[in-house]
Amino acid sequence: MNTDMVKRLAQLSKISFTEEELAKMSSDMSDIIALIEKVSAFDTDVSMTPNTVDYKSLRADTYKPSCPTEEIIKNAKKVTGNSFTVPKVV
Amino acid sequence: MSIKKLRKLLDNKEISALELTEQYLNKIEEKDKEINSFITVCYESALEDTKKAQEVIDSGKADMLTGIPISVKDNICTLGIKTTCASKMLEDFIPPYDATVIEKLKKSNAVILGKTNMDEFSMGGSSQTSYFGGVKNPYDLSRVPGGSSGGSAASVSADFCVASLGSDTGGSIRQPASFCGVTGIKPTYGTVSRHGLIAFASSLDQIGVLAKSAEDTAYILDCIHGYDKYDATSSKNATGNYTSLIGSDVTKFKIGIPMEFFADGLNYEVKTAVMNASRYYQSIGCEIVECSLPSLEYAISAYYLISSAEAASNLSRFDGIKFGHRCDNGESYDELIKNSRREGFGTEVKRRIMLGNYALSSGYYDAYYKNALRIRAQIKNEYDLIFEKCDVILTPTTPTTAYKIGEFKNNPAEMYLEDIYTVTANIAGLPAISTTCGYDKNGLPIGMSLIGKAFDEKTIIAMCDRFEKDFIRKEAVI
Repeated sequence: MNTDMVKRLAQLSKISFTEEELAKMSSDMSDIIALIEKVSAFDTDVSMTPNTVDYKSLRADTYKPSCPTEEIIKNAKKVTGNSFTVPKVV
Repeated sequence: MSIKKLRKLLDNKEISALELTEQYLNKIEEKDKEINSFITVCYESALEDTKKAQEVIDSGKADMLTGIPISVKDNICTLGIKTTCASKMLEDFIPPYDATVIEKLKKSNAVILGKTNMDEFSMGGSSQTSYFGGVKNPYDLSRVPGGSSGGSAASVSADFCVASLGSDTGGSIRQPASFCGVTGIKPTYGTVSRHGLIAFASSLDQIGVLAKSAEDTAYILDCIHGYDKYDATSSKNATGNYTSLIGSDVTKFKIGIPMEFFADGLNYEVKTAVMNASRYYQSIGCEIVECSLPSLEYAISAYYLISSAEAASNLSRFDGIKFGHRCDNGESYDELIKNSRREGFGTEVKRRIMLGNYALSSGYYDAYYKNALRIRAQIKNEYDLIFEKCDVILTPTTPTTAYKIGEFKNNPAEMYLEDIYTVTANIAGLPAISTTCGYDKNGLPIGMSLIGKAFDEKTIIAMCDRFEKDFIRKEAVI
């Protein structure tokens, strides 16, 4: 796998890499893709079966209280009041 | 000691819940420095648990698990107790809720001793990718315990707990159970609620149990199974009463031996031990049926495509903003997320996310991901055909016994091949149990697996129990 493709995947994956890490990832990915390449050789007309989950038993979509806000934000590293803090977007 | 025996001791007041828990906590304190099977030991809350358990025992209302000390894999959310997934990303994460399985254990007044080490985000088969250091195999400290539930398997094997909850996406309960000489069951997909299990690959993940015997796994499964309104994929077909066939006549069951599981690549000692187990079943009167799973050769590739694709999506929630590791540097929103994920995730997790996004990206989706789903359907069809002729399937759990720490360090693709015998049960959603069926020339445990029909855990548990009752197990000495 070439470095351009690895860079594209890093962008899609939202992970930053150094040039050295990209080179190592490129080599590892090439080995792994050689392994998974085998699926392309599978030639049959069997159809993809969606999973067999019975979605008829979904619970009713009703309002009820969730976790308290103060409990939820406890795990955030930066908060302002009851909100998560992020760098300026606009 | 078995759960049944401990139950008797506790109910007869020959030992108190506190004394029992203290014995295990002391052993963990003394010996786990060598094994590293726990990330968090819950000294205080475990002692609190014993008080409640003792009150219930004294009132005569104890159930099978009241006062029984159990460990829990660190990817299962525990209210107020750190749940790290063995990752820097969740190093400080304290869940604001209990997973459904934890609520059920608490309802039974089981004692939670601590959270066990694992491969980071369950991605691996060696338990060496943990941010908190690798786990060692109690049978040989220079070898891996397997993974990803390696801390759970090692904690049972080293007798740091009676049983452990693990999770299994492609063999993550059965493979470490095999390497550490214990019993591990992955139930049918949908048997146990995944609510509160930190997701890796949602269509494959299933919580299960590691213990010293099939019977003990059944008691824990009786507690944790069942439909849950918080998990739409949990099933009402999981009926419980998993010990009901133990002690019954198992000779009526037909055992399928799929020849592809015994082909090249299988270690000779493992093959011999599993074939000896097959002869054992034959000797007690079971019929052995030769069968075939022709698509096994595609299973690893399909598994890694499907699981990585799902992981890429599931792990996109870790942005460092709402919870988890947040990088100190990041001028923009996008840069902050990228830097947080770079610092928070280990190499194997990054590889899987990258592979998943590759499989799902345009130009590759049809050739890879869609074909992987076709293979999944084909494997399920092939299992259905096998189960027209037999009741259970006997296979090796792993191609080899526990390997040396660092053996696959530079070749991740080669390590993936080690999952060949376990992934198909996840792909088809079937129940499977692994138990020890022999020891190799180095004294390392060899595992065999029994795969059952969907929601027929009772049969594989009873078959496994019958074998265990006639097999002499050698405990790990640490």
